[in-house]
This record gives sequence, structure tokens and C-alpha cells, in this order.
Amino acid sequence: MDLPCGTRNFDYARDMAVLRTKTHWALFLVLLAIVFTMPLYLGKYWLGVSNLIGITIIAALGLNLLVGYCGQLSVGHAGFIAVGAYTTAVLAGKMGVPFLLALLCSGVMAGLVGLIFGLPSVRVKGFYLAITTIAAQFIIIWIVNHWSAVTGGFVGISVPPASIGGLVFKSEASQFYLIMVMTALCILFAKNLARGRVGRAFVAVRDNDLAAQVMGINLMYYKLLAFFVGCFLAGIAGSLFATWVGFMNAENFTLADSILYIGMVIIGGIGTTLGPILGVVLIRLLQQGIIFVSPFLEGAFSTLPAGFTTGIGPMVFGLVIILFLILEPRGLAHRWILFKAAYRLWPFSY
Amino acid sequence: MSRKILVTTIVLCTVLVLAMMPVFSACAAPKAKPGQVLKVGMMNPATGPAAEKGRPMMDGNTDGIKYINAELGGAGGYQVEVTLLDTNYDTAKVVTIVKKFMDDGCLLFTTASSKEMSAAMTSANNEGFPGISCFSSPSLYRPSKHIYGQTPDYGDDALAFANFYKAKIWKGQGKPKFALHLLNNPTGYGARDAFKAKADELGIEVVSIDEHAATTTSEMESLTRIKAKNPDVLYISSTPAPTAIIIKNANELKLYPGITIGCGHAGLTKALVDLAGASAVEGVWGAFPMVMWGEDVPGMAKMTEYCQKLHPADYGNMDYITSWAQSLIVAEILKLAVKNAGYDVLAKGDAAAWQAVETLGIQKLKNYNVAGLQGPVSYTAGDNRLTKFNRIYQIKGGKIGSPSDWVEAPLVKYEEYPWFGK
Repeated sequence: MDLPCGTRNFDYARDMAVLRTKTHWALFLVLLAIVFTMPLYLGKYWLGVSNLIGITIIAALGLNLLVGYCGQLSVGHAGFIAVGAYTTAVLAGKMGVPFLLALLCSGVMAGLVGLIFGLPSVRVKGFYLAITTIAAQFIIIWIVNHWSAVTGGFVGISVPPASIGGLVFKSEASQFYLIMVMTALCILFAKNLARGRVGRAFVAVRDNDLAAQVMGINLMYYKLLAFFVGCFLAGIAGSLFATWVGFMNAENFTLADSILYIGMVIIGGIGTTLGPILGVVLIRLLQQGIIFVSPFLEGAFSTLPAGFTTGIGPMVFGLVIILFLILEPRGLAHRWILFKAAYRLWPFSY
Repeated sequence: MSRKILVTTIVLCTVLVLAMMPVFSACAAPKAKPGQVLKVGMMNPATGPAAEKGRPMMDGNTDGIKYINAELGGAGGYQVEVTLLDTNYDTAKVVTIVKKFMDDGCLLFTTASSKEMSAAMTSANNEGFPGISCFSSPSLYRPSKHIYGQTPDYGDDALAFANFYKAKIWKGQGKPKFALHLLNNPTGYGARDAFKAKADELGIEVVSIDEHAATTTSEMESLTRIKAKNPDVLYISSTPAPTAIIIKNANELKLYPGITIGCGHAGLTKALVDLAGASAVEGVWGAFPMVMWGEDVPGMAKMTEYCQKLHPADYGNMDYITSWAQSLIVAEILKLAVKNAGYDVLAKGDAAAWQAVETLGIQKLKNYNVAGLQGPVSYTAGDNRLTKFNRIYQIKGGKIGSPSDWVEAPLVKYEEYPWFGK
């Protein structure tokens, strides 16, 4: 990490710390204060949007570990999220398993299913791997729709609110705290994994798997580990989504969502921990904006054919991806690094 | 002398009128102060995969509220302020939108489809926030909580059509054989559950149940299987695009004409005729809970005027009528709530206001005629379908017409069947 001029580290532990200066700590505490006081000044709607953002960040972090760090393209992420969501629905809703255990089982179950669909990654990569992960999306959703005795089928399934030791997370504010704590833990996990031995092995596999193997990295182990970890986080996100939304069916986990997750990671900055966070925040807020803009445009341009705003959402999403790929292929995270560098050097940015 | 009596009488009458004015004004609709409005949240899938229904429905909602505010003076003397949002037919968006409605102090909310209401109902039921769905399935309110159906549900369609078929069309002996082709969501499953519960009682035999997706492009394979079972009726509960494909395929397989085809109300719209072609759907029957365009009912002239002025492309679309009627019902509910609870209770837009709207507005509805646009609206305890009346239509010459009399759909207590919701 770049440090301000004159700041030095005197030991390894400090060099490896995520927060290394007093300014880092101060900004981190301010961020925590802002985030955890949000229920005091935000209504249910914005808390709901924040909850959705938090859940999506966890899922995107998993995809980023898989695609961004390890280079294993997955187009079935929504399917893995569905595995986690339905595991919680069945365990907590039908079998009365405590929420925390159900949450953990959701992650493990999604991770194991990810392992199965990750097996082809040992032999194929790139577009071929993308196709095998698309198969995961279709197969998982088919099972969800047709195993109706367990999943509720096309009609859907109710999920009780999360509860820990008698504390029920039913209100939007209480769910917000649960989701934000889980999001923070997942960010810390992803950050530490990415900058440790495993993360370095992922990057080596991504950049040149042949060279990585020559250096002694076990390709099969690390590729499958990436699938397990990426899908584990997807399962955690699915579990939280299930308890947050309260009622779900397979339509919550479409192929379009899987593509959207990839878009979020690209826009945010692939291969960075900060990237998925920024990408998710931008895309989810854009989606909310479109909800308001669409009817407004229909009303403002009433002379145009009715329904001309149909498709404005996908158009904006596509346009944002195109613009980022052309103008800032390294995503918002890179733009943030440039901004910080310019800010540190201001006004002497030579 | 007579002049003196006349003057005295006039003076007395004037004094009497002046004295009674406060009483008269108290009886009249309350006068809203500036800024005093009644807030309502309305969501529609105006974009996305169900836009062919959602866009005209959003127009119908908007135009209906404009009419209510401009010509009826609002609801109970207060202007109705609508937060109108597009769901994109995306359940994740619906979950946040319903929370926005609560934050904005809306007194109730509406959705167009059963899918949207399925996504919204958990939050709404948890908070006691009343909602009304234009189109609904039994799973939304069996058992009943805070969600209401504006029209009879997809199960009611199926039973109304089956009853009509047996009484007016069936000429054979024994039990008529029904083949079901159902959309793989609550639209289809509402009909499936109805047949499952009542087929024996109705004296019909269900010979096959097939499902299709909203994105289906061919149903030749399923229809070939159905044809082998030699049904008398093919009943389709789906949206217009898949219904059109199924009927076109049935024509290609020479399955139809030769049998009777019936549709649920989600599929019976102008879009079905446009998509399938007039000749393919000639003679198809369907249930629909609204009147047709051009019928001689009290509300038709104003609705037509507003539609042609503001959204002429929607003229002839029956979904527009449904959501226009929904706006009228919302205004009636608010009017009752103002009358029974007072504006001050409603102005807070909180849980107490929602309870007041539900118990003193929705649950006080009694034979409201919705300007004749649909069957009368009443609340019956334990039955959250606000209207129980359907009509059976037939497509002739590319037009949906020949309506039957209003048919009342009996209450089916699905929750008492062990298989319901499993």
C-alpha cells in the first residue's frame, strides 16, 4: 500500500496491517460511526437499499476472489447464491436449525456445490469454463423449481427472520446491523485471503497457470479452493438474502443477476477487494435511480410512444460497462487510488 | 299585511339559513388545508418482461388518480398524492419499493401482479401495511392478513370457466375432460390448486397438467401429449405471450378448433389477439373480471375520455380498465377511512394510520360499484378478495366480446387442504 511521504514502518506486523496510520484509523472510525448510526437517520427504504447493497457486496467479494484473483470465469453466481438461500430456508424455516448454524451450513453447501461445478476448471478455462458455470445456473434453478416438496417450487418458500439467542432480527434496522457486521467480516476475510499465501497463489494461477505449476503451485487445489471460497461467500450472501426478503422463489436468482454480478466486479475493479464494494454500491444505486427516472421520463415526454423507457435499466447498465471498459478498464478502485495519490500530493502533483 | 308576512318570512328564513350554515358545513366534505394530502404507493412492471401488461396498467393508475383529483375533488375532500414506481418485474426492487412506500407515509400500496405482491407481502404483513393487488392468486391471502385482491384470483377464473363450460357449452355425457396448461408461477398454480380442490365437486376430469415458462417459444411437444389424451377443454392460465404461443401451436397440431379453449384473466387481453392473430384465437373463451371497452356503464365515458386524451395507445386494452378501477377503489377506501377515522389519524402515515385504513377503510367496503367497471366491491371477514365476480368472454372476429352475466366465485378455503402451499 502507498504511504504518505515520511511515513515508515518499523516492523513486519505493522507493514502488514490493513490500517497503518493514524489517519487510516481516524477515517475507519468515522466510517464505522457513519455506517452504524445510519438506522438513526435513514428510513426503511434506504436501510433496505443498504441491506441489499451489503448482501450483494458479500456475493461480489466471492465472485471477485474466483474471477478477479484466480481468473476462473463463473457465470452461475446467482445459482450458488440460491443454494445458500434455500439451505437457510430449509434448515431454519422447516427444520428449526439455529440461524448461525444455518448460515454456516449455507456457505458450506454452496461451497460444495461450487466445487462440483468447479471440477471442469481443472481441464478447461476461459469461455469453456464460463459455459460450464452457466450450466450450474440452469441446473440449480431447475432443481429449485422442480423439487417443490423441499423448495416450494415455482410458488416459493417463506423464510423466518434471522435470530441469535432469542434476539430476532425482524425490523429493517436490526437486519441492517446483522448484515453490516457480516459484510464487514466478509470484507476482512476476503482482504486477508487475497493478500496472504492463498491470494498470491490465486494471482499466480490467474496470470500464468503453467508458470504457477512450474513454481510448485498445485493448480487443482487452488482452482477448486477458489471455487469453494467464492461460492461459500455466495452462500453466506444467499442466507442473509433469504432472511432479509422473507419469501423467495427461483425468480430471485436469474442468469441476468449472474451477469450483473460480473458487471459489478468489472466496474468496481477486478482483482481488488475495494473494487466489488464500489461496483456494487454504484450499480445498486443506479438501479434505484432508474426506478424513479423511468416514470418521470414517461411523464415528461408524453408525446413519445408510451413505454419508450422500457429497457432503460439494461441500457444504462450496458452503457456503464462499455464506458468503464473504454475509459477506466481497471474500474472505480483504480480511480480511487489515483484520487488518493493526487490528494496526497496536492498542490504539488508533479 | 301580506307583504309584512312575506318580509318576516324571508328574514326568518335568512336567519335560519345563516344559523344552520355551520351545521351544513360540518356535514359537507372536510376542507383540506394546503399541503394536506392522502399518500398512496403504486407499483407496476412498466418496464421489463411484463411491460406489455405493466405499462398500460401504470397509465390506468395515473389517469385514474388524475381524474379523481381533478373531477371528484380527491378522496373525502383531500387530494390523493401517488408515489408511482416501476418495478421492472424484479422482486429485489419490489422489496425495497414497498419499504419506500412505508417511509413516505403512504396509507396503502398497490401492485399490478401476484408476483410483485408475493415479493412485497412479507414486509407488508410484518408491518401491518395494507396492500391491494390487481391480479392475485390464493397464496397471497390464504390465510388472510393485510393483503387484498382487487379481482377474483386465478383459481376463481378457473372455477368460473369450468362452471360456465358445464352449464353452457358441454353437450356430452359423463365428465368433461380438462387439460391444463399453466404458467410456472402463481398465475398458473392458482388455477391448478382450484382444479385440485374442486374438480370432483364440479364433475370434471383433469386428464393432464402441463407447465410452461413465460419465455416459452414452442409448446408443440406438450400439446402433442395433450392431444393424445383427447381432452374436451384446454384451459390456459398464463400471460398473453405464452398463451398466444400455445394457441398457435394448438392450431398447427389441428388440436384446435375441435376442442374448447379457455383462458384465465392474465392472458385474456388485446395483446393475446395481437400476438396470436385473430384467426388463431377465434372462438377462444376466457374469464375476465372487468367490463369491455365501450360498454354502457357509468364510468366508461370519463375513463375513455381520459384514456384518449392522455394515453390513446391504451384504448382497447383491458388492463388499463383494471388499474383505472383500482384507482377508484383506492379513492373509495381513503374516503371511508377519512370519514371513519378522521384526517388527523391518517396524516401520520404510520402503523396506526395503516390500521385505520385497513379496518375503517378496506374492511368497511360494502357494495361499492366502481362506476360499473367491475363487479361490486365488498369486504367479507376472512375473505380478502374484494370482488368475487367474473365474466366469461369469447373472442370473435378479433374482438373480445359476448360477455356472460357476472358469475360469483365462491370462497375456497385452500388453507384447509393439506397439500396447499406444500
